[in-house]
Amino acid sequence: MALRTARNLAYCLNSIRNYSTNGPLVNVTVNEKSGFATVTLQNPPVNSMNLELLTEISHTLQQLEKNKCRGLILTSASNKVFSAGIDIFELHKPNSDRISQTWSFVQEIWIRLYGSAYPTVAVINGHATAGGCLLTLASEYRIMLNKFTIGLNETQVGLTPPTWLIDAMKNTIGGKQTEFALTAGTLFETEEALKIGLVDEVAQSKHDAIEKAEKFLNKFKRIPPHARSITKAKLRGANIQAV
Amino acid sequence: MALRAVRSLASLSNPIRTYSTSGPLVNVSINEKTGIATATLQRPPVNSLNLELLTELCSTLEQLEKNKSRGLILTSSSNTVFSAGLDIYEMYKPNMDRYKQFWTTLQQTWINLYGSSYPTVAVVNGHAPAGGCLLALSCEYRIMLNNFTIGLNETKLGMIAPTWFAASMRNAIGTRQTELALITGNLFTTDEALKIGLVDEVAQSKDEALEKAGKFFDKFKRIPPHARTMTKTLLRGADIQALVKTRNEEMNKLTAFINDPKLQEAIGMYLESLKQKQNK
Repeated sequence: MALRTARNLAYCLNSIRNYSTNGPLVNVTVNEKSGFATVTLQNPPVNSMNLELLTEISHTLQQLEKNKCRGLILTSASNKVFSAGIDIFELHKPNSDRISQTWSFVQEIWIRLYGSAYPTVAVINGHATAGGCLLTLASEYRIMLNKFTIGLNETQVGLTPPTWLIDAMKNTIGGKQTEFALTAGTLFETEEALKIGLVDEVAQSKHDAIEKAEKFLNKFKRIPPHARSITKAKLRGANIQAV
Repeated sequence: MALRAVRSLASLSNPIRTYSTSGPLVNVSINEKTGIATATLQRPPVNSLNLELLTELCSTLEQLEKNKSRGLILTSSSNTVFSAGLDIYEMYKPNMDRYKQFWTTLQQTWINLYGSSYPTVAVVNGHAPAGGCLLALSCEYRIMLNNFTIGLNETKLGMIAPTWFAASMRNAIGTRQTELALITGNLFTTDEALKIGLVDEVAQSKDEALEKAGKFFDKFKRIPPHARTMTKTLLRGADIQALVKTRNEEMNKLTAFINDPKLQEAIGMYLESLKQKQNK
């Protein structure tokens, strides 16, 4: 107990500096010691990706690139939902300027996140449907809490995911599983998601998940960053070009 | 005991003919009964792939193709290392003509091995990092002995594995696992490698591995060879064409890159640290 308190205190004292460009909908804190940034979506009630949230996410990713981020942990302020995806209100009887802006941001976020030079981990501490799942697929590593669901359920609402997103899912869980998943718009429970490789680890709590995330990011401590990022770019380049 | 004696006697009467083109660095022997060739890398201490070794291996593969070999087992004469990968001395202050030959021969060796018409098995009887892993991945089947490691660890050394290295790995373990393995430069233990499908079987000894390799080749006894070959080409052809189309461009990029002073400095330091380890 005493050790944990001491450790917590030490953690706090390791200057957790808040970015001054913090928006209301996206909270960014950078651990100055490790250089890892934690980006927390906070657009209640369900972090739906409306134009405002997407704009802030996009700006955040730009800033992280500029500041040569050492690693990103993406998570949610809610303890029930990671993100419910693109705000359905943006899609229903849309204003054509707004919808094209919205879609533009989705593509840009994909390019920046999927193609990021720095390592990325999604800490999935709630349901992650459609656009929410997109954000997790863009990351290099996925850690999910128990008893939530994740998937691309676009077909359930009569939509279809873009080709580049389908390819990213194929690259993660394979062609057969992707076909099963997408034709039925399947939302996988945590255990099943782990089984098919849609997520890489399961955690018992957000704290546990963040520890696991840092463990993943620490793997790269001794790896020359440019070798890592060029290797990643070679593997992901075709997808990005397609977008 | 008696059975083993009889089996040994039988193997004596199965003339294993050695190729007259067997070089000092790659030993090739052919079991005349089965038609299966065994190519053993023998460049002490760690079978590092230099121009001479690659040249012998490349020409061995071409000979086997020409002589319509029934199959190839690729293995090592060392009992600790399968191959330590590309010889770093080929990349340190290189003579440019030699470097170009080196890389061309490496590319051709991969094209010949990955695209071989005959079935191939790697008996991984020692550590197989980087280029060693590449050779193993290029074969159709991998049998590994316990307590060794295998993987494409280029990123750990600040290097970038070419696309066709990644393609060979993807062919074995899929896209997601390949990405994870490459960005972390992971070296898998035998058990881990088996678990993710990087190797297909584990054996307790080289003899056992060779027996298992024989069982793999037996699968093709009743399969018309040309159908087998064409199927393999359909599956692997795109990867090979991707290199064939870009091999000159790749060569140009590498020859420009290899002389980068920072890279040379890093290589020099690495060689120095190896020497110090040896002197300890």
